[in-house]
Amino acid sequence: MHNGAEHAAAHAASVIFGLDPTWIAVSILLVVYGIIMAEKFNRAVLSMLGAGLMILCGVITQHQAVAGIDFNTIGLLTGMMVIVTISQKTGMFQYVAIKAAKVVKGSPWGVLVMLSVVTAIFSAFLDNVTTVLLIAPVTLLITDALGVRPYPYLFAQILASNVGGTATLIGDPPNIMIGSAAGLSFYDFLVNLTPIIPLILLVMLVAIWLMFGRDLHASDENKALVMRFDESEAIKDPVLLKKCLTVLFLVIGGFTFAHALHLEPASIAMFGAAALLLLQTLGFPLEEKDHVYESVMAEVEWTTIFFFVGLFIIVTGVEHTGVIGLLAQKTLALTGGDFDATVAAILWVSAIASAMIDNIPFVATMIPLIHSMAPTFGGADALVPLWWALALGACLGGNGSLIGASANLIVAGFAQRAGHPIAFLTFLKHAFGLMLISIVMSHLYLYFRYLT
Amino acid sequence: MLAKNVMVADMVTALADEKVEDVLHKMRSAKLRMLPVLDADRRVIGVVSTFSVMERVVPSYIVTGDLNQIPYAPDMGVLHRHFEEVRGLRADAVMDAKPLKVQADESLLSVAAAMISYKKHEYAMVIDDDGCLLGIISAGDVLDRLSQDGLIDA
Repeated sequence: MHNGAEHAAAHAASVIFGLDPTWIAVSILLVVYGIIMAEKFNRAVLSMLGAGLMILCGVITQHQAVAGIDFNTIGLLTGMMVIVTISQKTGMFQYVAIKAAKVVKGSPWGVLVMLSVVTAIFSAFLDNVTTVLLIAPVTLLITDALGVRPYPYLFAQILASNVGGTATLIGDPPNIMIGSAAGLSFYDFLVNLTPIIPLILLVMLVAIWLMFGRDLHASDENKALVMRFDESEAIKDPVLLKKCLTVLFLVIGGFTFAHALHLEPASIAMFGAAALLLLQTLGFPLEEKDHVYESVMAEVEWTTIFFFVGLFIIVTGVEHTGVIGLLAQKTLALTGGDFDATVAAILWVSAIASAMIDNIPFVATMIPLIHSMAPTFGGADALVPLWWALALGACLGGNGSLIGASANLIVAGFAQRAGHPIAFLTFLKHAFGLMLISIVMSHLYLYFRYLT
Repeated sequence: MLAKNVMVADMVTALADEKVEDVLHKMRSAKLRMLPVLDADRRVIGVVSTFSVMERVVPSYIVTGDLNQIPYAPDMGVLHRHFEEVRGLRADAVMDAKPLKVQADESLLSVAAAMISYKKHEYAMVIDDDGCLLGIISAGDVLDRLSQDGLIDA
């Protein structure tokens, strides 16, 4: 923020022991991010502690902290979590996965392609972690039936979930944050980010075919076993399925037209969630209604929500001291204030950083940094390509290593339990190059679409 | 009525390093569904049951992956393959390591309440102060005792 220095001055008096607020805020941020990276404690607990310290140490007031929380992001995440929690009980995701495997007659490579495409599409509309939680177990079931090793399938699924998640506003938390902070709509994402995604997925699949696809074989007996799966049995509750599909369709339609109606995505997601909660238990006795409602609420990932709340407050604290504005000036000094170079720098730094650290705190910090570059490039509207660079870098960068995204670790967890653990270095060897290819493709896309 | 009056002290037990295959054989010949697993000092360290073995035979990705019921899946020989592996494991690898333990001088009311409320255990291990096994109480033992007492009263 350009007036960060004034803020700092205004609050210097209230800071604990009269210490320099800048150092306190930066120390809290660095220590919290450092401990999050070490993965020894729950990340939500750490971010809430950091947020609390920002206020207790007097860097910001509680009022400023609350004002710094992006409730559009929080509302959109929570609303979608409720809708997905209810929808996954219908068995529709298992239905689609099995159907996809049967369409290609159980051919091992066909199954890999179909499951990857299904994962990418689901990831574009649902949280990536949820998607792989739903698809990975079915994948293991199918690879067990095919008698093939699951690694190539799970590897492809990790890549597909991160690539697919990049495609839309609601596909990946960084996109939600970016869209919300930069005022970019679901439609903006569809027009600007979605077009490059199928191309990247295609290139990834070709690479996976060269690496593993040629060696995948299954006997006719095993293929016949896959064909004996009966997907119609997967639908547990056809009535609820209709309700879920209706709400999902209306909510996604709502996102697409939200901007024209002057609505923010959180309003649509939360309204959809409330409507589905009502529809789900229509006609149930009151006691059972409450019971169902409580169980849905218990399954919402409050850990993620509280992680976001804490992060927003930590970043707000640092932003108030003016450090982020300063960092933006340094970055601009490095790129010589050249727009093309700045786009490239944001894309590549985001990709490499997201491969190594959690992309959510990274993006939370980058957002105010990019915001403060607006005066240099002639206003907020001129920044739009920078936002696309951040989204592409942060989301696709997650493919760079096994710890690059939460979804990667979820899949690795399933692989471990199925007796086929995914080694950190093996994954790095296979995935890092592919991640770089996807960033090169993004760079070319950004260059030809926005910079020439 | 105390736990020590109800418990069955004449028990078949398994050792931690016994093979699952042998444990299952013991259970079959004694017509039991579970055996307490003891360490070298006769302390209870867990319980092997038909259920705890089956938990290992079903692929864990099905159980932990929210799939639970998979009416759409055919039999794929996967249970057979897993069972072959599990048979060769040690008893302590497949046991439930948190069985319900009760003290010998606990009341029958306390034992019965613990059995139904603490994760629904069908058996309670009666132990002494050193954790050594004195006897076992099953849900059936509790009910049998109640009906016997009823007969005496009548």
